Amino acid sequence: MAKTKKTDTPHYEMLHIISNKFSEDEVKPIVEKINALITGNEGVVTYSENWGKKKLAYPIKGFTYGYYNYVEFDLAGANLAKVERNIRMMSEILRHQIIRREVRTIDMPAKIERPEVKTEKEKPAEKKVEEKPAKKSAKDKTDLKDLDEKLDKILETNDLL
Amino acid sequence: MDTAIKKDKQCHFCVNNIKEVDYKDTHTLRKFVGSYMKILSKKRTGTCSKHQRKLATAIKRSRIIALLPFVNQ
Repeated sequence: MAKTKKTDTPHYEMLHIISNKFSEDEVKPIVEKINALITGNEGVVTYSENWGKKKLAYPIKGFTYGYYNYVEFDLAGANLAKVERNIRMMSEILRHQIIRREVRTIDMPAKIERPEVKTEKEKPAEKKVEEKPAKKSAKDKTDLKDLDEKLDKILETNDLL
Repeated sequence: MDTAIKKDKQCHFCVNNIKEVDYKDTHTLRKFVGSYMKILSKKRTGTCSKHQRKLATAIKRSRIIALLPFVNQ
């Protein structure tokens, strides 16, 4: 990896928590406001991701839930202090953390976070699928064919409706 | 006896070829934290010195942003 000294503008990542007192529709303009703040100070937003509503590990200012939002951006070091000061003054944001990081390489972006949420959703679905065919396979194959025909008929009728 | 203990302890990050410890990946970070959410020693987890240092900062970062608790209850 090339040393970061040579690159002109440093690359940062920021994770911030937006207060739970807003609804999901109200969060979007706040996120846009932050992105505008970065671009307004000659920064470039390279990547952003919305994690949605998550439970905080401990309450912050009386809130147990918050909207997590993740942003990656290029920004000159001198402007970073300005941006951070503005973000700190925004009362909508419970907490933020800016960390300097390497620029995303081509093999990195596929590795996106939130593996926990995905596994939770996938696991019950897989189990249901696994159980059902096991029961069906016990029955005759002809039954399946009949079922398919019936399903087709139902689908056709639905189309007509 | 000695060999059995040695086999057990391998650095998770060296084995999986992970260079940087990500503070957002709480699923793996939780493996290196005790039931009271204290950072476990490298003696116990088998993490190498280089990764233990990175791990410690990663856990502290995720605590600040409320992905991990500072203490349990």
